[in-house]
Amino acid sequence: MFSGHQTSAESWGTGRAVARIPRVRGGGTHRSGQGAFGNMCRGGRMFAPTKTWRRWHRKIGVNQKRYAMVSAIAATSSPALVMSKGHMIQEVPEVPLVVSDKVQELSKTKEAVLMLKKHRAWTDVLKVYKSKRFRPGKGKMRNRRRIQRRGPLIIYNKDQGLTRAFRNIPGVDTICVEKLNLLKLAPGGHVGRFCIWTESAFRKLDSLYGTWRKESRRKKNYNLPMPKMTNTDLARILKSEEIQAVLRNPK
Amino acid sequence: MQSDDITWSIINKSFCSFKIQTKSQKFCRNEFNLTGLCSRSSCPLANTQYATVREEKGVIYLYMRTAERAFFPAKQWEKVKLSRNFVKALQQIDENLIFWKKYFRQKCRQRLLKITQYLTRMRKIKLGRQKKLVPIQRKVDLRIKRREEKALVAARIDNAIEKQLLQRLKDGTYERIYNFPQEAFNVRIDEEEEESEIEDEEEYEEEKEEEVETDEDVEGELEKEALEDERRDEMDSDDDDDDDDDDDGGDDEDEDSEEEHQFVADFDESDDDLEDAAERMAMSSDGDEYEEEVKGRSIVRRHPVSLRNIKSRGKARLEVEYEMPEDSSKEKVTT
Repeated sequence: MFSGHQTSAESWGTGRAVARIPRVRGGGTHRSGQGAFGNMCRGGRMFAPTKTWRRWHRKIGVNQKRYAMVSAIAATSSPALVMSKGHMIQEVPEVPLVVSDKVQELSKTKEAVLMLKKHRAWTDVLKVYKSKRFRPGKGKMRNRRRIQRRGPLIIYNKDQGLTRAFRNIPGVDTICVEKLNLLKLAPGGHVGRFCIWTESAFRKLDSLYGTWRKESRRKKNYNLPMPKMTNTDLARILKSEEIQAVLRNPK
Repeated sequence: MQSDDITWSIINKSFCSFKIQTKSQKFCRNEFNLTGLCSRSSCPLANTQYATVREEKGVIYLYMRTAERAFFPAKQWEKVKLSRNFVKALQQIDENLIFWKKYFRQKCRQRLLKITQYLTRMRKIKLGRQKKLVPIQRKVDLRIKRREEKALVAARIDNAIEKQLLQRLKDGTYERIYNFPQEAFNVRIDEEEEESEIEDEEEYEEEKEEEVETDEDVEGELEKEALEDERRDEMDSDDDDDDDDDDDGGDDEDEDSEEEHQFVADFDESDDDLEDAAERMAMSSDGDEYEEEVKGRSIVRRHPVSLRNIKSRGKARLEVEYEMPEDSSKEKVTT
């Protein structure tokens, strides 16, 4: 029973000098005689009312999901891609940024902020602060009032207070290596989020996803996807002697 | 070098935070970009081996980046200070980028030229006088103008000048300068206190031009002037009590002539009353009477004769100097 149909309205037909839209029966109230049922009527139901049983989920093969995951992780290691995403990593000492395991034991937000400042990741957080604004459009009245940028992502192995230390810093997300989330690694569908790894988390990646030489220990029968080209610099390849020697002269 | 092409395919097709697209062209906001355009060869993100020329505070540097340092963003740029001599700077660029792509050498040289040109232009402009354009805020200007006019009126400069001149006359600074017929002079002094001072000044000036007399006459006039002032002061003090009766409408007419002389003396005493007078004048522009609420009862009062007289002459608004016979203390006593 959707909204807009809670009336027993019937069209008056022709001959009454009114439009043929179904009208509300009865009398004694404003509502009587008003149009009903149409998407053009006031108080009528919308066109094609959206249903909850829309097919929301998509089946995607496990391998494809893992491929996406692995690509996203790889992208976080490319400073070019991280910068193009907009993160302020101009002064970060190294990319990917791997930090000692002591970070996992942080409990105070002050210490967390200090750690970010020491590793020159604080400028990214400042960018988040500056980007806090109201959403344009109706989302404001649909509980999506405020928006802000995404900041750095902290990837840890064992949470010994880390999540609570970084919880209140705007833009900063924390995630466990075992449960990496594509939505956090590539927010908005664009790869290259600025990630800060703890040492043990970084080491775990090998066992999680394998190397080309070894299979993954955690995922059954999984190995990293093989690249299409081992050397991707096509321009350089074409100019190389080996290839030029074989090419015939241009006419 | 390593995955530059992949990076470019991602940046170009998908999203780059430095890219600004206009209808005809793509720009790159990256501060290390050599040309400022977003293209495959000039993208600092898609070329790990990159060089730029940038200036900071008037000093021109050559920035270089190689593949080895690509993963240390803090240390990736090598900075070489270029000499101020343009030719030497060109040579420096060629030296440093000796085995680099021709593209970078060329673009760096072009950029160096542009930068030196605009720096010299900046220096030239600073030497000459710089005209600073200041916007006119029309509303503010109009407001100030209006206020100036009001201030001019409020200052009543003419009156001040008048007073000053008279004062000087009395003091005797113009002893030997102006010569008047004695009688005319005395009449003048009397009249000045009756009529508006603006009119006085005009007549005053006319009389100046009339006759020439000896200095002794002038001195005599001044003495008499002084005597008359004293006499008037005595008269003024007598009349004070009379004027303070609120309900004496009839008596006002008798005191006509006396009241008219009082202005100067009492003027100094009570400034508040004068202001009240102005208000009351403004409130009841019709007739000589006005209503006043004293402790709940409205009492009809007639304007003091001084004010009435002025009204008949049609100079109501400007004359604020006439005394108000009412005192608040007196009012309490009567009611």
